[in-house]
Amino acid sequence: SQGVSATVFKGTADLDCLLGKDLGALRDIVINANPSNPPLSLLVLHSLLCQRYRVLSAVHVHSSVTVVAPSLLSCLGPRHTDSYTRHRFELGFTLIWKDVSKLQMKFNTQNMCPIEGEANVARFLYRLLGAEPQDPVLATQMDSWIDTAVFQLAEGSGKEQAAVLRSLNGALGRSPWLLGQEFSLADIVSACCVLQANNCTSAPPNVQRWLKSCQNLGHFNCAYELLH
Amino acid sequence: MALNLTINSSNPPLGALLAAEHVKGSVNLSVEEGKDTKLYVSDQVQFSDVNSITRYLARVAPALGLYGSNMMEQTEVDHWLEFSARYLCGRSDLSLALLEVDKTLALRTFLVGRSVTLADLSVWAALKGNVESQVKSGSYPHLCRWFSFLSSQVPFSSVGSKWANKIT
Repeated sequence: SQGVSATVFKGTADLDCLLGKDLGALRDIVINANPSNPPLSLLVLHSLLCQRYRVLSAVHVHSSVTVVAPSLLSCLGPRHTDSYTRHRFELGFTLIWKDVSKLQMKFNTQNMCPIEGEANVARFLYRLLGAEPQDPVLATQMDSWIDTAVFQLAEGSGKEQAAVLRSLNGALGRSPWLLGQEFSLADIVSACCVLQANNCTSAPPNVQRWLKSCQNLGHFNCAYELLH
Repeated sequence: MALNLTINSSNPPLGALLAAEHVKGSVNLSVEEGKDTKLYVSDQVQFSDVNSITRYLARVAPALGLYGSNMMEQTEVDHWLEFSARYLCGRSDLSLALLEVDKTLALRTFLVGRSVTLADLSVWAALKGNVESQVKSGSYPHLCRWFSFLSSQVPFSSVGSKWANKIT
């Protein structure tokens, strides 16, 4: 289901450098998400992580949830046939459909508090790709777009949504991606919020063209599959 | 190049003021009172929401470690920035959120890592002036210890005494 994924990030990231020395156990990212609000941006990032690392992906259903659509059970791709050989993987990605009010991630729980909110988990996964802009202005603009998408596009009123679509359209008239010439997490999170808000057909022209460019990268396939 | 932070003096953004005080020895930054809160970086670049302002200031003074010292701490900082915007700022019932912060601080001196970060700045700023009495009520011993500890330090003490009574 991964299709023809374009290699979008060319830098090399080393997990030992990013996360500290591996202590022998698989580094497992555990995400609790509510099936009524599937975290599309995390599925895109999962696809990008699979391009970079050997990822052991798994989907589970928590007892707090009774019915989960088949598309949600297969959203991380086919089940690994060699999942018993955990040592052969670099990263675990475990998605648990659970009746949580807010998406949460548990990782390295001895040192790290549980992380709440899809955007913050997305920032974490993006850092694992080693693709965060080094320039403080670009990095902060990226975070600012993400906050706008999450607070005003995903949760805002119709009026706020329209305002965000206008500013997206303006920015995308000046450059192909939100931060300029480079695709970034700002594009991933904002595009997923536009898709989730069902604004794709009524979206202004630059936004529509940009959604098409995102789709062409291949990594949004899983998100589109869940929407249809 | 000089940065300029204008703050809305009728509703001072304590988190941004704290970040400005922390970085002022490392960054050329002036602070002015005005109508709207805005960080002017250049003609093309300005940030007007507090989380973007503090993120930018933390990033231009990386040696201070205000954004954490590794990617796991950075992510915890992100968590607390959203947490304070969502559950602490402008909320009437804070008891659940305060319990959550209290629980986190049970085994920690600072919210993230071993030194002060944007997480401490934004949570302290959200509590200062608004709900100090609730924080000190005895229901949140760890939160109360952390809050008093930070409040006694510069620049929390100076920012608090200068601005907290102006919060509307």
